[in-house]
Amino acid sequence: MKPVPLYLSPLLFVLFGGVLQAQAPSEDTYELFKLSCVSCHTIGGGALVGPDLKGVEERQDRAWLLAFMENPQGVIDSGDPYALRLLRESKGQVMTQIPNYTKAMGEKLLDLIAFESELEKSQFAGLQISERPLTQEDVDLGKALFEGGERFQNGAPSCLSCHAVHGLTGLGGGQLGPDLTSVYARLEGRKPLASWLSAPPSEVMAPVFQKHPLDGEEVLALVAFLKETAEAGHEEAPANSFPFVLAGLGSTAVAFVILDLLWRNRYRATRKPLVEKSKR
Amino acid sequence: MDVRSQVSMVFHLDKCIGCHTCSIACKNIWTDREGTEYMWWNNVETKPGAGYPTRWEDQVNYKGGWEVHNGKLRLKSTGPGRVVFNMFHNPSMPSMEDYYEPWTYRFQDLFNGPEAEDQPTAMPVSMITGEYLDIESGPNWDDDLGGSPVYAENDVNLEGLPAHVRQQMFEIQRLAFFYIPRICNHCLNPACVASCPSGALYKRGEDGIVLVNQKRCRAWRSCISACPYKKVYFNWSTGKSEKCILCYPRVETGQAPACFHSCVGRIRYLGNLLYDAEKIPDVAKLDEYDLVDGFRNLILDPNDPEVEAAALENGIPSSVVESAKESPVYRFVKQWKIALPLHAEFRTLPMLFYVPPLSPVISSSNDQAVRVESDQLFSDVERARIPMEFLSKLFAAGNTGKVRYALRKQYAVRLLRRHLTVGDVPESLAKRALAEADCSVEEADQIYRLTSLANFDQRFIIPPSQREQAIEAMRDPMKHKQESGFGFREAPFRV
Repeated sequence: MKPVPLYLSPLLFVLFGGVLQAQAPSEDTYELFKLSCVSCHTIGGGALVGPDLKGVEERQDRAWLLAFMENPQGVIDSGDPYALRLLRESKGQVMTQIPNYTKAMGEKLLDLIAFESELEKSQFAGLQISERPLTQEDVDLGKALFEGGERFQNGAPSCLSCHAVHGLTGLGGGQLGPDLTSVYARLEGRKPLASWLSAPPSEVMAPVFQKHPLDGEEVLALVAFLKETAEAGHEEAPANSFPFVLAGLGSTAVAFVILDLLWRNRYRATRKPLVEKSKR
Repeated sequence: MDVRSQVSMVFHLDKCIGCHTCSIACKNIWTDREGTEYMWWNNVETKPGAGYPTRWEDQVNYKGGWEVHNGKLRLKSTGPGRVVFNMFHNPSMPSMEDYYEPWTYRFQDLFNGPEAEDQPTAMPVSMITGEYLDIESGPNWDDDLGGSPVYAENDVNLEGLPAHVRQQMFEIQRLAFFYIPRICNHCLNPACVASCPSGALYKRGEDGIVLVNQKRCRAWRSCISACPYKKVYFNWSTGKSEKCILCYPRVETGQAPACFHSCVGRIRYLGNLLYDAEKIPDVAKLDEYDLVDGFRNLILDPNDPEVEAAALENGIPSSVVESAKESPVYRFVKQWKIALPLHAEFRTLPMLFYVPPLSPVISSSNDQAVRVESDQLFSDVERARIPMEFLSKLFAAGNTGKVRYALRKQYAVRLLRRHLTVGDVPESLAKRALAEADCSVEEADQIYRLTSLANFDQRFIIPPSQREQAIEAMRDPMKHKQESGFGFREAPFRV
């Protein structure tokens, strides 16, 4: 669903002015929300890494929220029980601060959340992942997506480029990100894993996957694949760069052999061989 | 006709005694700086021998000079496409191994050594590392057939000679050798100039001296492999190439180059030649057999009015044309045809010519100096211990006829002089020998005079340099005058 066009806002105000506290937010605020919040939060789509923001002001007052947005770590450090609970729920992930945050910015965002919370279905409800049972086809597709055999629809890089998983052949997976063999178990199930994948919040993945988000079916397939890998109960392989070093040395050696063959008629030495020959 | 003038040279090998005075004169003037210790712009080699650097004539290894490829002349070492593969490392170059590690002795130890049982000695130390050096080779390591099994037997010119000829050459008690002093040939078609990617090498327009611009040289070292005579050297200290400059500061002031000036045997002649630059591409492509003749045809007769007019029209000063008429080189090379280019098959058209040497005959059974049998007039030449085939590989690209002609003429002149001074050769025989050697009595007299009696001013006809005109052609001479002379000399030190 598209954001409510600006020219409709007076009409909306007339129609719902009494009911709605908030006015329709501006385009800028929408952009800001998309940029800063959606990777961890939904509005009415359930918790991702951060909690669902639908009706957040019913749970905490605006002053607390503004204070938290301004300095999340500070509020947590102050021992605020609500903040600590949030920290537990997000499995230790502290909310990242919005760059160049101002109080006016926070107000606007809260207005936007209030406005969207009133809607029947917010555009920020997040990706709705189907609840259907996972099949073997999903597992196969997930494996293909993970290894890059199948491309992601929106052009996201395949998982293999940064992550390893048990059972990869060849040089194995990437070593940049953590091994994902038991990520299904680590994140405690289908729902959290799917929500992670639908909007990866980590510092490295977020900027990439905001531009190239995964499709619902792709998320499901990956979940299926990772679930199966986790349930097979393999150990996560420790980061190991030895095969790479070995391959590097090997190909260097091969390159030298090829160069040696290409330049086999090159000049080597003149006098030394003559001296050697005369000694024989 | 595109007439140009070139300072060129003749080395009379029959007179060379292999004393290396030329090498020392050159070294003391030009190459006793750091980085040039191993350079011998002038060196003297024993033939048969491997030369310096070892087997420099072996172009399979060093890829020097030109080759005819699909009817076109191209460098053996590099080219527009081929350069890509050797851009950052040029493999066809002699290493320090093939030159030698230059050394000196710790002479101070002779004076400062502590008192001991033994005499103090001066240890040899490398001039590159400063460490003690176990000397393995030097620039004239094979002097006088030294180390023959390593060097003389591996003379490149022996390749292709029949086995019995080779064996004959190395028969003990019949060994013969001769010397060949070498400097830069200042070629008409210089491979070093053609190969330089920086355009640092150039051939001076007014006298044909080939020089390296020390400011433009970028150490690609293409010239090192391209020069088939291995007469461009790389200065490891400055990172620039250097080569024989034919002592141009001396030539410009009317003096003979140092090696010419100091030559004990008076084997060296210097004078300018007029040549037709238009013909160079065609001549350089000729079959090996025709190279010497083609090369001679390039050289023009300065007494020909047509040539003289064309020369003047081309901007050659009349004083230079007059000098060419006196040139001893013109006589040896073109008139008498007894001087030949070294390894014409490299196709660089070297402007240094050699008079091939006579050598003792193979047979020692007959103690008579001259055999008088009419049909064996030149048997001494044919049976010389240095075989004609060997000499022709050096001086005539394998065309024995050219070497035979030169040797016969020299021998005929000797017979005539023998008749005139000793009197044991009948006049009729001497005359017949001259006739068969294509030499008149007057010519024989001239050859004798220029070979044996010539004084300094007859051996060196140095063309007036006209340096100011050459400068004028490139830039304002007043400006040039203001900018040169007093001040600092800029040494191309490596940072």
